[in-house]
Amino acid sequence: MKKKLLKWITWVVVLSGLLIIVGIASLCIGTTAIPFKKILPLIFEIREGVEYSILVDIRLPRILLGLAVGGGLSLAGVLLQGMFRNPLVEPYTLGISGGAALGVCVNIVLGFKSGIGGFSLPLSGFIGAAVVILAVYSLSARKGILKIHGLLLTGVMISFVTSSFIMLLMAISRAEDLQGIIFWIMGSLEEPKWSLINLAIGVSLLGLVLSYFLSVRLNALALGEEEARHLGINTETTKRFLFIIASLITGCCVAVTGIIGFVGLAVPHFVRMFVGQDHRILLISSFLSGAIFLIISDTIARTIIQPLELPVGVVTGIVGGIIFVYALTKRGVEL
Amino acid sequence: MIRRLITVFVLLIFYAAVFNFPLDAAESKENSNQARYPQRIVSLAPALTEALYELGADDRLKGCTTYCSKPEPAKHKEKIGTLIDFNLEKIVTLKPDLVLGMEFSDRRTIEKLKNLGYRVELFPSPKNFNHLCESFLRLGKMVGQEEKAKQIVMEAKQDTAFIREQAAGVKKLKIFWQLGAKPLFSATKGYFTNDYIEFAGGINIAAEASSGIYSREEVLKRNPDVIVIITMGVATETEKQTWKTYQSINAVKNNRIYVVDAYTYCSPTPKGFARALRELVVLLHPSIFKSNEEK
Repeated sequence: MKKKLLKWITWVVVLSGLLIIVGIASLCIGTTAIPFKKILPLIFEIREGVEYSILVDIRLPRILLGLAVGGGLSLAGVLLQGMFRNPLVEPYTLGISGGAALGVCVNIVLGFKSGIGGFSLPLSGFIGAAVVILAVYSLSARKGILKIHGLLLTGVMISFVTSSFIMLLMAISRAEDLQGIIFWIMGSLEEPKWSLINLAIGVSLLGLVLSYFLSVRLNALALGEEEARHLGINTETTKRFLFIIASLITGCCVAVTGIIGFVGLAVPHFVRMFVGQDHRILLISSFLSGAIFLIISDTIARTIIQPLELPVGVVTGIVGGIIFVYALTKRGVEL
Repeated sequence: MIRRLITVFVLLIFYAAVFNFPLDAAESKENSNQARYPQRIVSLAPALTEALYELGADDRLKGCTTYCSKPEPAKHKEKIGTLIDFNLEKIVTLKPDLVLGMEFSDRRTIEKLKNLGYRVELFPSPKNFNHLCESFLRLGKMVGQEEKAKQIVMEAKQDTAFIREQAAGVKKLKIFWQLGAKPLFSATKGYFTNDYIEFAGGINIAAEASSGIYSREEVLKRNPDVIVIITMGVATETEKQTWKTYQSINAVKNNRIYVVDAYTYCSPTPKGFARALRELVVLLHPSIFKSNEEK
């Protein structure tokens, strides 16, 4: 037991260290290279000029948002994969992203986008996500029992329905609205509002803390629902809480950044290869790794073909997918 | 389907154009003292870049997009990304005192620039030729070249008026103006390319459509005399061949399918509009062209 704990602590320390290194590297790298030794003086002493502005107003918010969203999506992935005992489930499978996207599309097409400052799009995204969460939940909850397979199928169907509606809206919308929709669907860590960044960080961290109350139950659920019940776990309450936590994190992340794929699917698997199946270590490791992965991806996206910036989803998909498949074949690990 | 729409959208943006902005109250009072006008301008759209060159403000243009290739020297200006994805850091390092963008530029990046205290002026896509001219005049005023802008607009208006007059005398042709394939995309009334067709003495068969996506059946039914295809890379030639399989269309029968350059037609300045219009009239009514030559 002691040995296990030691191993876990090592992992957390290593991953946290990596996260800090990646964060600092990402601060230094960009169109204008800012050397590492200039960073501290810039932030604490000089506090003005173009370089300070690039560092604090442009790069820092993106890194923090990358941490929140990368961590949040990976965490949601772990929770849902654990709950469904299905390796193909990811935060977007349940139609939450579709709902958010539809909310944003309706908002853009109806032309509310200038309202309530810049909050109107994220807000409509969140409302869309919340509607889908409620719909999926209430459709698959019968007599107080949440049917796992029903939940999954309902979610998948709702995500098809929403994506069809989005296509419908895109087909009939004006060219000017079309680009708004596409910008949003492509997903980006560029977010001008600090309040939204803080919100995303808050929700992700809160999700992490809350999910720890369920980590032991998740381990039990991994054995199967029947077995978990025999172990004295109230599976219904557990499933309900898991679903709500994962959906809310996903809904918030998607509402703020748009759709950034792959993080929630691949990171949990990748982490499982190294730290094992125990959710007590899996949750925190996935959160940290997801954050590292998204920050690296975003740094690549904004630097690889300067001065152009790629959508971050392109990088998460290509880089992540290749590394993932490589690791899978190399280690011969079964999902 | 989404991918196709994205292609159409990218093409549209790529083609899309120009100006108009809220009139800056402070600016109307300004005199001709050049130093009081923006000295470090960054342009986020090809049409804006071209307009700055026409206005003679290109020495103050410090950065533009990779698509800004007209006129030739614009290719060598500092590049800040594309119309869709521009690099915020790059813009900031250029220390602009005026950033010119389109209303469809990415909301988040624009808002960020504004938050950082940069002056950002946005321009809607032009709805018609007059709208285009108004925007051009305002841009002129903004960069301190009002007189020059007026002069250019006046000349462009005279040019187009002359061409309209000439074209008015001939039999009107039904025209299908194709902006994109898969889905078939055309210019409706609210889009400035509609003016090309009307000024050149044509009838835009898609003018009344509610959105640009147009059905091929409808094209067959309306039977255009001419089909104009805007260049769209590899798809252009395929599209031309596709149309040729529909022998019932007059345009096909009389071999009147024309391919025109996207750069010329889709991101114009008033001057560029007049030039493109003249080119189109030559295509549509070769007889007018001859009489012009004689003059």
